[in-house]
Amino acid sequence: MSRQAGEKKPRIAVLGAGNWGSTVAHMIGANGYPVSLWCRSEKQREEINTHHTNTRYLEDTRLSQNITATNDLEEAIVGAPLIFVVIPSKSFREVVRAMGEVLRPSQFVIHATKGIESRTHLRMSEVLLQETCALQFGVLSGPNIALEMCQGKPAGTVIASEFPRVIEAGRSALVSEQLRVYANTDVVGVELGGTLKNVVAIAAGMLSALDLGENAKALLITRGLSEIARIGVALGADPMTFAGLAGIGDLMVTCSSPLSRNHRVGAALAKGMKLDEAVEKLGMVAEGVNTAKVVHSIAERHRLDVPLLESVYRALHENLTPAEGIRELMQLSSRYDIDRALQGH
Amino acid sequence: MASEVVGRMVERMLARAESGTGQPVEEVINETLYHEHLRLSKAGSSDEAKADRAFYSKIRHELPRASVNRQQRLLHEIVERYAREIQGHFDPKAYAVATKFAPPMMNALLNGLSPGRLVTRLRDVPSLDEHLIIQGEVETLQRLHERGTIVLTPTHSSNLDSMVLGLALHRMGLPPFTYGAGLNLFSNPIVGYFMHNLGAYTVDRLKTDPLYRETLKEYATVTLEFDADNLFFPGGTRSRSGAVEAYLKKGLLGTSIAAYRQNVMRGKETSNIYIVPCTISYPLVLEASTLIDDYLREAGKQRYIIVDDEFSKVRRWLDFLRGLFALDLRIYITIGKPLDPFGNDVDEQGNSLDPRGRKIDPSEYLLVDGEVGEDGVRDSVYTGNVARRLVGAFQRENVALPTNVVAFAFFELLRKKSNERDLYRFLRGLGPEISLPMPDVEQALALLLEELQALAGKGGIRLSQSVGSGDIPEIMRRALKSFGIYHTTPVIQRKGVRLHVGDGNLVFYYRNRLDGYGLMGTRRLVPPRRPG
Repeated sequence: MSRQAGEKKPRIAVLGAGNWGSTVAHMIGANGYPVSLWCRSEKQREEINTHHTNTRYLEDTRLSQNITATNDLEEAIVGAPLIFVVIPSKSFREVVRAMGEVLRPSQFVIHATKGIESRTHLRMSEVLLQETCALQFGVLSGPNIALEMCQGKPAGTVIASEFPRVIEAGRSALVSEQLRVYANTDVVGVELGGTLKNVVAIAAGMLSALDLGENAKALLITRGLSEIARIGVALGADPMTFAGLAGIGDLMVTCSSPLSRNHRVGAALAKGMKLDEAVEKLGMVAEGVNTAKVVHSIAERHRLDVPLLESVYRALHENLTPAEGIRELMQLSSRYDIDRALQGH
Repeated sequence: MASEVVGRMVERMLARAESGTGQPVEEVINETLYHEHLRLSKAGSSDEAKADRAFYSKIRHELPRASVNRQQRLLHEIVERYAREIQGHFDPKAYAVATKFAPPMMNALLNGLSPGRLVTRLRDVPSLDEHLIIQGEVETLQRLHERGTIVLTPTHSSNLDSMVLGLALHRMGLPPFTYGAGLNLFSNPIVGYFMHNLGAYTVDRLKTDPLYRETLKEYATVTLEFDADNLFFPGGTRSRSGAVEAYLKKGLLGTSIAAYRQNVMRGKETSNIYIVPCTISYPLVLEASTLIDDYLREAGKQRYIIVDDEFSKVRRWLDFLRGLFALDLRIYITIGKPLDPFGNDVDEQGNSLDPRGRKIDPSEYLLVDGEVGEDGVRDSVYTGNVARRLVGAFQRENVALPTNVVAFAFFELLRKKSNERDLYRFLRGLGPEISLPMPDVEQALALLLEELQALAGKGGIRLSQSVGSGDIPEIMRRALKSFGIYHTTPVIQRKGVRLHVGDGNLVFYYRNRLDGYGLMGTRRLVPPRRPG
């Protein structure tokens, strides 16, 4: 999609009009690309097309005029050289399967979903490969709070792909004075960074609710990152990826944002609520709750030592109280600051 | 063929030099001089080595004073020398003749190894033909052969593979395939003559010059474009450990995409190239001892000390074939599902399919801004996808034979009973004094067979007839007989009610064919090989 200045910009498709999908569409539209934004709800389509707002997810944002919402998946996809998929992990497979009906091998697909399929433990790109002919694909991830992006605040993000042209296409669609776009070839690492941090975010919520202070939070973030990297490496990621935006970057922003769903679940549990109650109170499912389960079984399968992530799992699913969990963690024998298995990579 | 290869190579090198994306011509030649000098310093004094030395010393003298035009001429000469050597004495007319006579001749070679002996004793020698079981997607392969060019990619355990496959192709009614054979295989003049004229080209693994490697790949690409079906061993060399290949070399595999792209760009009518995985499963492997020793020396580093045993090669071949015939053992050749050069499944009509079975046009994977375009990085990622799919196919189409299952159950039981955690120290301790009660091994075998049945039911592996029958005494009898007939020391030996280790390394070797499936709760013992 390299082109001369003044040449007409191609239409780009964004599937999913939640807060992140709408934000991605908005940023691309603001860069002068026509955008087809696919959503399920007719009401939402009408609102976006008539009022250029999506109040359910982004209350105060005026979306780019270049966005046209549609309920017709085929209409969105056919003819778009680049497609962003921003669908929650729970319905990701269903949507990309439908996309596969019309997708052509020449089209690029970049997904921006931070999750693992709970039934199969597959990453989103693996689901994409199982359901469509797409081979030229990538993943978008990083410390990107949708609301801040819509407010025009500066941020950085990562696109990972083995295909330089996919990164280039995604970058030209997204890059602006507000957004820096970094490239990475480590798809696995970038996907896992964005996914696994949600479990640590739950622990961060617990720490906040128990009022354990900033030192404890720094301890949590660094040890959490170390465990994330350990799992990542076992699944084929490059450990250095976790030192980047999609690793430490995303982890920091998630752990310091008390508004995130994962954070709130953690806080509720620390205050003595049961998981069901906490989820009910939240009104939606936090990705981290399922991811913790997946992490638990991955750790078991690969025989990985991840005490912190395991404690979150047990607090969520085995009635360990957060206070007990922290006591246990503090009593573990401490080892090397930097995981020796990760050094010298 | 060679002149086409030379023309393209020189054109490409010049274009790269000019655009600054590659080295200047002088540097390319200097690199060749460096690599060839290194090789020739260890090459002895054969006629070929002498001729090569003379050739390169001439170039070394000329290069510093050569004009740009002269440099290009020298590059041309070097590539031409490489290409001619790779092509060998291939002659299209001889190819036509050889195609007709080769299969019976090959059979003869395998059976007797001496034509004289053949003439007199042809009737007494059972045919290797009868000892091949060809299964899997045979019909699909035959059909696709009519619709495009085939790249057959088999697992590689033995130097017999190419000949066994030659026979198998003949049995399936297909002409011989072109393939790259190591220089050492041409040393036998009879085998060499036939190999050349069957389209085998020469691969000299000692030549490390990148220019040589690239010429080799270009040669394979051109043969594919000229509709010559090819045979690539994607593992590169014979499996040292005995395990099914879990890591593939992408160099030669990548030529299928290069040839396909050229075909599409030229608007060639039968542009399709089909990659067909294939496994060859031997109850006994001719070179097993040498291969596993080599593997352990490499993998175990200083922890393992090797003991060499030398045997005349012909004698070993004869022993091997006698063993095969005497026990009526079968070699399984399994043809897997075909793939396109991007790693997609292909149906019987030759259409590429997406993972949900929907028809797609693979040439669209090559589009750049609407037109078919070159992109080396992109294509190597596609080839990586093909490699991944092939590794999966190898696992699924691998056939578990009695020797493998018995070695596996025996080995794993020994491991469990030992408190030696280090694999190499454990192997070193596997002497003839080590034994297990027969009933214990049979019990472990029963559990293993159950697991294998379940895995095979899901299409995760194939079982030979007898392994599939689940008849434990019969499987045990077959395995022990096979283990006793060919190898210098029986691999596993029964003494009374106990099974004794005969050759621990070979137990490991035959066990490894089932490595990586997680059977009996084990982890992979043979890590996938990576370059460097």
